[in-house]
Amino acid sequence: MQKGEKLNDSQEIRIGVFICHCGTNIANTIDVKKVAEYASKLPEVTFASDERYVCSEPGQALIRDSIKKHNLNKVVIASCSPRMHEPTFRKTLEAAGLNSSLLEMVNIREQCSWVHMHEPKKATEKAKALVASAIAKAGLLEPLYPLKFKVTPSTLVVGAGIAGIQASLDLANKGFKVYLVERAPSIGGHMAQLDKTFPTLDCSACILTPKMVDVPRHPNINLLSYSEVKSVDGFIGNFKVVITKKARYINEVKCTSCGVCAEKCPVKNIPSEFNLGLGKRAATYVPFPQAVPPTYTIDKENCLWFTKGVCRVCEKVCPANAVDFSQEEQEIQVDVGTIIIATGYDLFDVKQKPEYGYEMYKDVISSLEFERLLSAAGPTGGKLVRPSNGIEPRKIAFIQCVGSRDVQTNPYCSRICCMASIKHAHQVKEKHPDAEVSVFYIDLRAFGKGYEEFYARVQQEGVNFVRGKAAEVYKEPNSDNLTLVFEDTLLGEVQEQEFDMVVLAAGLVPRTTAEPIQKMLKLSLSPDNFFLEAHPKLRPVETQIAGVYLCGCAQGPKDIPDVVAQASAAASQASIPLAKGEVVAEPTIAYVDQDLCCGCKVCESVCVYDAIEVEATDENGKAKVNEALCTCCGSCVAACPARAITLRGFTSEQISAQFEALLKPAQQRD
Amino acid sequence: MNAQELIQKHKLLECIHCGICTGSCPVSRNAGLNIRKYMREVVAHGDVTVHSQNELWSCTTCATCGIRCPKEIIPYEFLIDIRSLAVEKGQVAATIRDALESTFKNGNPWERIRSKRSEWTQGLEIKHISQGAEMLYFVGCTPAYDPRAQKIARSLAECLGKANVDFGILGVEENCCGSEIYGMGEKGLFEFLVEENMKIFRKHHIERIVTGCPHAFHTFKNRYDQTDFEVQHHTQLLSKVIEEGKLTFSKELKKQVIYHDPCFLGKQNGVYDEPRKAIESIPGVKLLEFDRTRERSLCCEGGGGRMWIDITGPRLAENRVRNATKYGAEILVTACPFCLSTFEDAVKTTGLEGKIQIMDLAELLSLAL
Amino acid sequence: MTEFEPTIIGFTCNWCTYAGADLAGTSKIQYPTNIRIIRVMCTGRIEPEFILDALRLGADGILIGGCHPGDCHYQEGNYKTELRVRLVKSLLTSLGIEPERVRLEWISASEGQKFAETVQSFVDEIRELGPNPLKKNSELK
Repeated sequence: MQKGEKLNDSQEIRIGVFICHCGTNIANTIDVKKVAEYASKLPEVTFASDERYVCSEPGQALIRDSIKKHNLNKVVIASCSPRMHEPTFRKTLEAAGLNSSLLEMVNIREQCSWVHMHEPKKATEKAKALVASAIAKAGLLEPLYPLKFKVTPSTLVVGAGIAGIQASLDLANKGFKVYLVERAPSIGGHMAQLDKTFPTLDCSACILTPKMVDVPRHPNINLLSYSEVKSVDGFIGNFKVVITKKARYINEVKCTSCGVCAEKCPVKNIPSEFNLGLGKRAATYVPFPQAVPPTYTIDKENCLWFTKGVCRVCEKVCPANAVDFSQEEQEIQVDVGTIIIATGYDLFDVKQKPEYGYEMYKDVISSLEFERLLSAAGPTGGKLVRPSNGIEPRKIAFIQCVGSRDVQTNPYCSRICCMASIKHAHQVKEKHPDAEVSVFYIDLRAFGKGYEEFYARVQQEGVNFVRGKAAEVYKEPNSDNLTLVFEDTLLGEVQEQEFDMVVLAAGLVPRTTAEPIQKMLKLSLSPDNFFLEAHPKLRPVETQIAGVYLCGCAQGPKDIPDVVAQASAAASQASIPLAKGEVVAEPTIAYVDQDLCCGCKVCESVCVYDAIEVEATDENGKAKVNEALCTCCGSCVAACPARAITLRGFTSEQISAQFEALLKPAQQRD
Repeated sequence: MNAQELIQKHKLLECIHCGICTGSCPVSRNAGLNIRKYMREVVAHGDVTVHSQNELWSCTTCATCGIRCPKEIIPYEFLIDIRSLAVEKGQVAATIRDALESTFKNGNPWERIRSKRSEWTQGLEIKHISQGAEMLYFVGCTPAYDPRAQKIARSLAECLGKANVDFGILGVEENCCGSEIYGMGEKGLFEFLVEENMKIFRKHHIERIVTGCPHAFHTFKNRYDQTDFEVQHHTQLLSKVIEEGKLTFSKELKKQVIYHDPCFLGKQNGVYDEPRKAIESIPGVKLLEFDRTRERSLCCEGGGGRMWIDITGPRLAENRVRNATKYGAEILVTACPFCLSTFEDAVKTTGLEGKIQIMDLAELLSLAL
Repeated sequence: MTEFEPTIIGFTCNWCTYAGADLAGTSKIQYPTNIRIIRVMCTGRIEPEFILDALRLGADGILIGGCHPGDCHYQEGNYKTELRVRLVKSLLTSLGIEPERVRLEWISASEGQKFAETVQSFVDEIRELGPNPLKKNSELK
C-alpha cells in the first residue's frame, strides 16, 4: 500500500479489543470482564477479550493469533498509558502483518484505575466510555507509513565535567565525531575541584586529569571550551547547532601556558572561581594548573585595558606573541545527529539558611570550600586552617542536609553529602588526629559499594556522629569560637557546643546556566527542576525529545561512579541512531488536500517550523507540507479556514468521533 | 481535639525528627520543653501527654520552630492546640485563668477596668477616631495600662503628631487584639474578640491601622483573615515619615544604640530594615548589632502568654541585656511592649541599672525631636 | 433524584498535561471520575469547533490542558490555544452559555498533583453551575 492510501472502502471493519488486567493494577478497581463484554457488543467489534498482562508474551500472542483467526484489521488495547507500551503493541501488530498505525490505545491504568481506586463502579463506567471512544476512533484509522531520514554521524555534548568528558571519550572511541562544548575556560567541572573521592580516597585530580588530557588529543573530539550553545534547530539525526566561542584575547595555538602574562598582570585580587573565592587570581589566568586547554584567558570584566583603557602589559611580556586584544567572539555552526546534556549542578546557596551564619562568620564554610582547603593545589596548599585566623582547627562540626530534604528549599536528598562529610571527617582526622570532629545528621545514607564499610571505619576513627539537624550557629560576644545549638535526638537533649570551624554540607541544585539549553530543546524538568528522563527506570538517559540524552548531575544529584556509568550509558544510547545511519520519524504529519486549499497562507503564518509553504509560482499557489520538518503539532490544521489540512493519526473526524462516543448517555452504552 | 485530629492537622506523620525545632527553641534548654518529643508521643502513643505545666506554658510562640522546619510543620501551633485542651479542661494556672477572664470581661488581660483604657492620654490632645481621622492608632492593652509601657504610647503619639499624621484612637472602645489569647489556646475567646473588633472597626470605617505592638500587628495582619484594613507597625510608619522628611530631629543624640528584633515583627513578618533605618536617621546615634540578630534574634520570652505565667529557669532577657552591654551599647532599643517589659526586669535582676537603658523605638525618636 | 454527575471532556497535549495526568496516576493521587481525556500532540491542534461540538453534544465542561507558557513542545502552540479559547469563551457568552464551562490550564509533566487538583476544582465548579443547558434541551426533545 502506498503512502496516504486508504483502507479499501468496501473492506469490512473488523476491530479486536483487548482489555488488560495489569495483574491487579487495573482489575482490582475496574471490572475488566464487564468492559470486555460491553466492547464485544459495540458495532464493528469482531472480537473482545480480557487478559492478565496484555504486554506479556502470551498477551501479545493472543493479539497476533486473534488478528489472524478473526481477520481483524483494527486493534484497540485498553491498558496502561500509551506513553508506556504503544511502541510495544505497534510492533505486535506489525508481527501479525497489520500496519502499526491501526492501533488505538486506551489509558485505563494511569488515568482510570489508579486515580479512582475507591470508586470501582464509576471507574468501570469511565473505562467503558473510554473504550467506546477508542473504538469509534479505531474505525476511522488508516494505515500510515513511517518516514526515514539520514543521520549526521556526530554528537554534541553540552558540558565538560566528568559526565561530558566520559560521554565524549566513549563516543569518540566508537568512531563518531563529537563536539564538546564547555562554558568555562577549562574542562573538568566540579570533580576538578575535589581533593579526594569517597570511599576509596583516590586523589580526584589524579584520576580525572588523564581523562581531561585525552579530550583535546582525540582526533574525533572537537573541544569548544569557553563556548556556549546559542541555538539548536532541527530534529533527531539532523540537528543544526550554533555555538558561540567567546574571545579569550589569547591565541589558543600560540599560547605556551608559560604564565608570564598572569605573573605580570597588575590586577591580582580577583576572587578565584575555582577556589570559590578562598584564593585570588589575576585578570589574566588559567582557572587551575592542570586546566585543559592550558590556554590563558583575559577576563574582560577585570582587565585594565577593557575597563580603563590602559595597561596591555601582558601583550608586551608574552614571549609567544599570543595576546590578541582584537580577538572577537566567534559563531560556529555544526551539524549533529544526537545531543547529550551534561550540564552538571550548582551548589545550594547556603545563605538561604541564615541560622548557620554563612558569610557572617569566616569559619562557617561550605563543603566544596572545605574541599579547596584540603587540596594540595588549593589556596592554603593543603594546610587545613581556619579561614578567620590561619590557625589549625581543633574542633570541627559538619552540618548535614543544608538545603536538602527541606520543602522550603530542596525537598530531595542530594545523595552525595553524607559520604562527602564522612570523607571530610576522615581527612580531618588524618591531618590532625587530635582534632574533635562531629557530624550532625538526620539520617546517614551510605548506600553505595563500600560506603557503609567506609562509614564504619570513620566511626572507629573516633568521629562523633550526632543524630540531629543543627539548629543554629552563633558567637558569644568577644569569642573567637562558634557555638552550635542542636538537639541530640537520640537522647532528646538540647545542647550547645563550641567549635572553631563549621562545614555546611550544601545540597546540589540544578545549574542555573542550563536554562537556555532547556528552553532551546524544550526539555521537561522533573519536580526537583533537574532534567526529566524519558522513564525513571527503563529509559533513564533518554529524554522525551528524540535524539537528546542526559547524564550526570544535570539529571539529578549523584556521585562520581554513578555519573560515569550514566555518561557511558548516554554515550551508548546516543550512538544508536548514529550507528544505524537513519532514523524513522512518526508518520503522523499534516497533508493538504489540494482541491480544498485556497492558498490563503494562514497555515504558513502559524507554523513555527516553516514546514508548510504556499508555493508562490503562480496565483493559484497551494500549500505543501515539508515532511522532514513537520512535527505533528496540528496548529495549521486548527487554523485552516478551508479545513483543507488533515493531521494523519489525529484527523478531525477521528477526534470528533472520540468525543461523540464519550458523550453518548450512559444508558445507551449498556 | 483528639490525637488523630492533631496528627492530621499538624502533618505529624511527615516529621523526620531532625530536631531543628527543638534545637531552635529558645526555651527548650531552660524549661525542658522538647516539642519534637511532644509531637512524637502523640503519634506513638495515640494520646496526648502533658509532662508538666512548666513545659507546656514555657513556649513563647516565637515561631522559630515553624520557620525552620524542613517539612513545614508548625510545632508551636501544635503546642497551642495542646494548650487548648488544657484550657478546655480548666487545667491552667490561676494567673492564666484570670487573664482570660479579664479579657472576656474587661477587654484586656491585665485585670484593669475598661474605663481607664485611655488614661495614658492625660495631658495629650488625641482625638477619638469618631472625630474623623485617616488612620487608627491601635494602642493595645499593655501600652494602654502598664505604667512603663504607657510611655511608648505617649512617645508614639508625640512622634505622629510632629509628623502631622492624621490619627485617632478608639479610647475605651478598644479591645484586646487577641494575640496572647490565641497563644494561650483560648481559641473560642479569640474568635469572639475578632468578631467584636471587626464590628468596631467597621463601625468607624477603619481602613488603616498603626500599632506599636508587634503582637497586635501580627494578629491583625495574619490571623484576622480580613481585607477591610491595612495594618502597619509603628516602626514601618515612623521610618516612612522620616524618609519623607515629615519627621525631623532637632537634637543630636550621642549614644551607642543596639536594636533587638522582636520575634513577632522580625522573624514572623520580616520587618528588619525599617526600625534600623529610623534609628540611624537620628543625628549622633551609632547603631550596633547583636550577633544573634534579624532572623537569628533571640526571643525575650515575652510572648505566648508568658507575661501571665511564671516559668522557672534562667531568663533569656538577662542574656540579652548582658550581651548588649558587652557590645558597648548604652541603650537597648526594641519595638515591642513585651520585650520592653522583660528587658526592664532583666536590667534589675542582672544589676545593670545605670549601665544600660531600655527604650522603645518611639521613645528613642522622641528624645531627639 | 441522583446527584448531578457532570461529564467533562479533557483535551490534553501529549507532552505536558497528558504526562501530568499519567504522573497523577503513578503517584496514585485520587480525583473524580467525571473527566474523560482525549490526547492530542499539542493543544494547538484543538479546533474551536471541537469545543463547540462537544458542548452541543452535551458535555458539561471542557478542560484543555497544555504546557506552561514558554514550555510548549512546539514552541507556541499553547499561545494559539489561549487565543482560540478566548474566542470560544466570548462566543459562548453571546450564546448564553456560561464561559466557565471551558477551562484552559497549564499543567506540566511534573505536576500530577496540580492535574488532580484542577480536575477536582473544575468538577466542583461545574457541579455548582449545573448541567449543560443544551443537554437539558436535547433531553426535552
